[in-house]
Amino acid sequence: MSIRYRLLVSLVLLGLCFPLFGQDSLSVKGTLGDTLVLSNATVTAKSREQQLREGAFAVGALNIRLQASTLQSLTSAIDRTAGIRIREEGGVGSDFDLSINGMSGNSIRYFLDGMPLDAKGTGMTLANLPVNIIDRVEIYKGVIPASFGSDALGGAVNIITNRSSRNYLDFSYGIGSFHTHKADFSAQYIGKKTGLVFKPVLSANYSKNDYLMRDVKVRNADRTAFIVTDLPRFHDAYLSLFGQLEAGVQDRGWADAFFVSASVSKIDKEIQTGATQDRVIGMAERNTQSLNVAARYEKADFLTEGMQFQASVSHTWDHSQTIDTTYRRYYWDGTYINGGYSEIRSRGKTLRQYRRPLTVVRSNLAYRLAEGHELALNYLLNRAGNRQTDTWDSDFVPTDDVLAKHIVSLSYDQSLMDGRMNNALFVKDYVNHLTVGQSELPSTTGSDKVRGSNTQNYVGYGIGSRYLFLDPLAVKASLEHSIRLPISREVLGNGSTVYPNLALKPEISDNFNLGLFGTFDLGGGHSISYEANGFIRLVDNYIRATVTETESMMQYVNVDAVHIKGVDGEIRYDWAGKLHVAANVSYDDSRDMRKYTQSGDISVTYRNRTPNRPWTYCNAEVSYTFHNVGLRDSRLRLTADYQYVHWFYLTWAAYGSASTKSKVPTQHITNASLLYSWQGGRYNVSLECTNLLDALAFDNYMLQKPGRAFFLKFRLFL
Amino acid sequence: MKEIKKMLVLAITLVTMITMAVSCQKPVPEPEPEPEPEVLKDYNFDLFVCAVKHGGMSQNKNGTYVRSVPALTADQPRVEFTGKGIDITQNYTLESIVRGKYYYQVPQKATGGFVKFHIERNAAGDESIVEDAEVPFKDNVYSARKYTHAWLNDSTTLVVVGTSDKATKVIWSKLNESNLAIQSEGTFDITLPEGYGSFSTTGLLTYRKSDGKLYYFYFAKPAAGMSDAAKSQTYIAVIDPSTMKVESNTAVPNAVMEETAGSAYGELMQNMIMYDEADNLYVAGLITVSGQEMGILRRIPVGSRTFDASWNGFPNPEGKLLTVQYLGNGKVLSYSRDESLGTKIDSKSHFYSIINLANSSRERVKFNGQDLPYCGGRFSQRSAVANGKAYIGIGGEVEGEAEANYPTIYIYDCRTGVVEKGVELSKGFCFDIIRAMDVK
Repeated sequence: MSIRYRLLVSLVLLGLCFPLFGQDSLSVKGTLGDTLVLSNATVTAKSREQQLREGAFAVGALNIRLQASTLQSLTSAIDRTAGIRIREEGGVGSDFDLSINGMSGNSIRYFLDGMPLDAKGTGMTLANLPVNIIDRVEIYKGVIPASFGSDALGGAVNIITNRSSRNYLDFSYGIGSFHTHKADFSAQYIGKKTGLVFKPVLSANYSKNDYLMRDVKVRNADRTAFIVTDLPRFHDAYLSLFGQLEAGVQDRGWADAFFVSASVSKIDKEIQTGATQDRVIGMAERNTQSLNVAARYEKADFLTEGMQFQASVSHTWDHSQTIDTTYRRYYWDGTYINGGYSEIRSRGKTLRQYRRPLTVVRSNLAYRLAEGHELALNYLLNRAGNRQTDTWDSDFVPTDDVLAKHIVSLSYDQSLMDGRMNNALFVKDYVNHLTVGQSELPSTTGSDKVRGSNTQNYVGYGIGSRYLFLDPLAVKASLEHSIRLPISREVLGNGSTVYPNLALKPEISDNFNLGLFGTFDLGGGHSISYEANGFIRLVDNYIRATVTETESMMQYVNVDAVHIKGVDGEIRYDWAGKLHVAANVSYDDSRDMRKYTQSGDISVTYRNRTPNRPWTYCNAEVSYTFHNVGLRDSRLRLTADYQYVHWFYLTWAAYGSASTKSKVPTQHITNASLLYSWQGGRYNVSLECTNLLDALAFDNYMLQKPGRAFFLKFRLFL
Repeated sequence: MKEIKKMLVLAITLVTMITMAVSCQKPVPEPEPEPEPEVLKDYNFDLFVCAVKHGGMSQNKNGTYVRSVPALTADQPRVEFTGKGIDITQNYTLESIVRGKYYYQVPQKATGGFVKFHIERNAAGDESIVEDAEVPFKDNVYSARKYTHAWLNDSTTLVVVGTSDKATKVIWSKLNESNLAIQSEGTFDITLPEGYGSFSTTGLLTYRKSDGKLYYFYFAKPAAGMSDAAKSQTYIAVIDPSTMKVESNTAVPNAVMEETAGSAYGELMQNMIMYDEADNLYVAGLITVSGQEMGILRRIPVGSRTFDASWNGFPNPEGKLLTVQYLGNGKVLSYSRDESLGTKIDSKSHFYSIINLANSSRERVKFNGQDLPYCGGRFSQRSAVANGKAYIGIGGEVEGEAEANYPTIYIYDCRTGVVEKGVELSKGFCFDIIRAMDVK
């Protein structure tokens, strides 16, 4: 079945579902009222953001509901947050790395309503999660509350979905450059008699990603020399389908909330390049299918008054395959030579099957000791299997690896001085269990060093405090000794462009944060808010992505020690909800602190800046909202934003003359968007232009990103 | 008649007297022929170092840097890499074919072809890479660092050989040296013997002048990815370079050699093949001794196409024989490993010796009566021979000491055997290659 056909089917399905829920929406008509509620919800959401900022931890908070009508994906919104940098490998559906205060993407954990996002399937990421279902995003920088029960090291992104208690229907469709189509549908129906709640979600993304690659080498007409030209990508189509149905009850005597859900996802992705764009791929693909079932339970005053219990359980059947069955060497014009090596791995042909069952169990038991004093116990189990078979390569020996993590944490939160001071203390115990069955490429993957099973135990702890002097001035500080167990992608590879590294060790870090924040109400609807943070990360066994020579494959390796120090700051100005100006700047200095090489010599990279990572970047955004333009209850918002990323070297900065070194050049990216909403937000049309000035944009290893692109989106919210 | 007799007697007497007089004199030495003036070529020396770990065979992921210097004598300034030299990490491989001042390779940046470049140094001493030619592959495709090579026709033609289809076919291409134009390509008529799954990744190719043939050393192994020399079967294929037809393909008994060295990357980095003045061909290889793979040096005598099983230039090995370079007059510079001191790439167990081919004896290279220290670098070629000198690089590592010394080059005089200290390199790098580049 072709990708285009599958897209068509999914759109038809969406269309079929639409009338069903349209019926339900009739029962909740009075849409103006709903619209007003939405408006109120906006205020509430901002309040939550403020509450988060005033917590003991360093947190960034984004209100996504306000942007849902224009956003293509979550990544673009998160990328504009202070201290956050997202590096994408290409267009829609491309792999990306997110860093928070200098810590790499995989040091960051992603949660969907507190549950690891992985549970929705390995293919589900910030990039393809339906934007419409999201209420807000919380970004924890460095120190993460124990309630997540996670082993994140650099921070966490927690995506909070819409928890509205009313019926609604939300549908959007967008079309954009490079044959991009996006359709999202979500709804909520609460049975009047039964009280049963149903929450269906459907989402489809498709893009051909055929944006222009500039200055690429292809063969001349007689194929005896290279010429440099601009050509569109030709094998980068991406399709993601996601469907979920959640059903349950709320506000019962035995449960505040009890929901069960089932979701399916399917990701088909053509592969266009290796880890560098010189490696052109024309046939290989990676496909993933996942099925998830989950249940969650919440109860306040559980067993006794003041005790709160939350539990979630989830199991995912995840099956991906990497098709690398062609001995071809492609060029950017789509021509090829029948060579003697496979496209991705430069070895024999493979049709590798990966079955990665994932079980997540999470529980949280909190007890209020007294007003302002709460004790909580958390447990998280994350068990990922990795069964590999190959339906093409008869020499491949099937493997079965297991990576299981148990994390138990105990936390104590207190609120003193009428809430002017908040403190949080926690301790975590991490157990990592790895069972390795694979033996392929032992010198590369380290499979010969870690055969069999091994279990390791680590302990982490932390504290966070916040003191509010006045509205314009508050200070918060936090520190954590944290452990970050390698994720399956790092240890077991991704089946295509990332080699396993079975000998990878956990990252261990001491994180320190100190922040100031406040708001000045200038009167007349003018307000200025700010926040400034300084941070230090002292990381041992830092996990860094490298590109292996010749194969253009990536692999994660440990760097013995890395110290990261930095600052980020943001200032926001708002005038009567009309004019909004915000700017932030982030700087971090990451140094390799491994003093000795394995053979005991002083390392030349000691105290050198860690290569291949941006270290200075900033964002600026201005938006103006006009009310009642043309239609009643309408809103017109014009937004422009600018991103700057300072150039950085791909290798160690100190060695080799500057003129000979490879570097990712400075990026200046300007985006603009227009949103027109009427009938109080029931109907929304937006037009977005990304990379307005058509600048040459790069990220990882000089992988070109799309040039100027347009995206038109229509959203209906009932 | 009497007069004639008298004259004859007189003449005989005179001749006899002169002869006797001459024979009693101290012989007058024949004038020695004027020694041929040694033609000193104009060399630059390219020095390759890696950060953190030794490079080669995709082992280094931390950066590879090159300096090009005019001399390696002790009077030269220390070779620094901070802000100096060329960072080749992203674009080129450490492994390369080298001839004259040029490098020829399938580059790291994987553009889908071959590239020829050289290193230039400006007046300020800053180096840069200048690409001289770049051509796309024609029909045969090679991976970076996975090929072997030989030169033909007075080095105007470059032959590149590799494997394809999961190392089950052996492919070749002939390139014009000057512009890299691909002249012809093909696949050798070499098939896997029954019971074997793949060939060595590249094998070793060399051109022998005395019989005008290409010699291709390769082995078959039971399965791809398997590395167990005792289960491999080595072959010597003799190829007519004009037709590229395989004239003979001879199996080498395992007792003679189980595998050649450098089977995965040819001589792109390390030298494993050499010739003496008589055009005897020497090949470094492996043989299993008491369950451990050990080095062996075999010889194909001039006029023969097979190894002389009775001769071994590397008896009683301490470990693997990694590189050999002919110094002249039956002397060979070898780089080998003492397995008892460590078998990791960075283990400080590698050392230099001089092999005397006449009696297969060898002795560690010494400076001031002391053995040159052990070094790390399984895949290093830190020695080059130029103008009658062997330049031998020693890493800064000193066993048991945390603080590294300055990596240093020692200069061995091939005629006298005298070793002098040469230039130092900045501290802390893994010193991997010295290449003597004839820049004329």
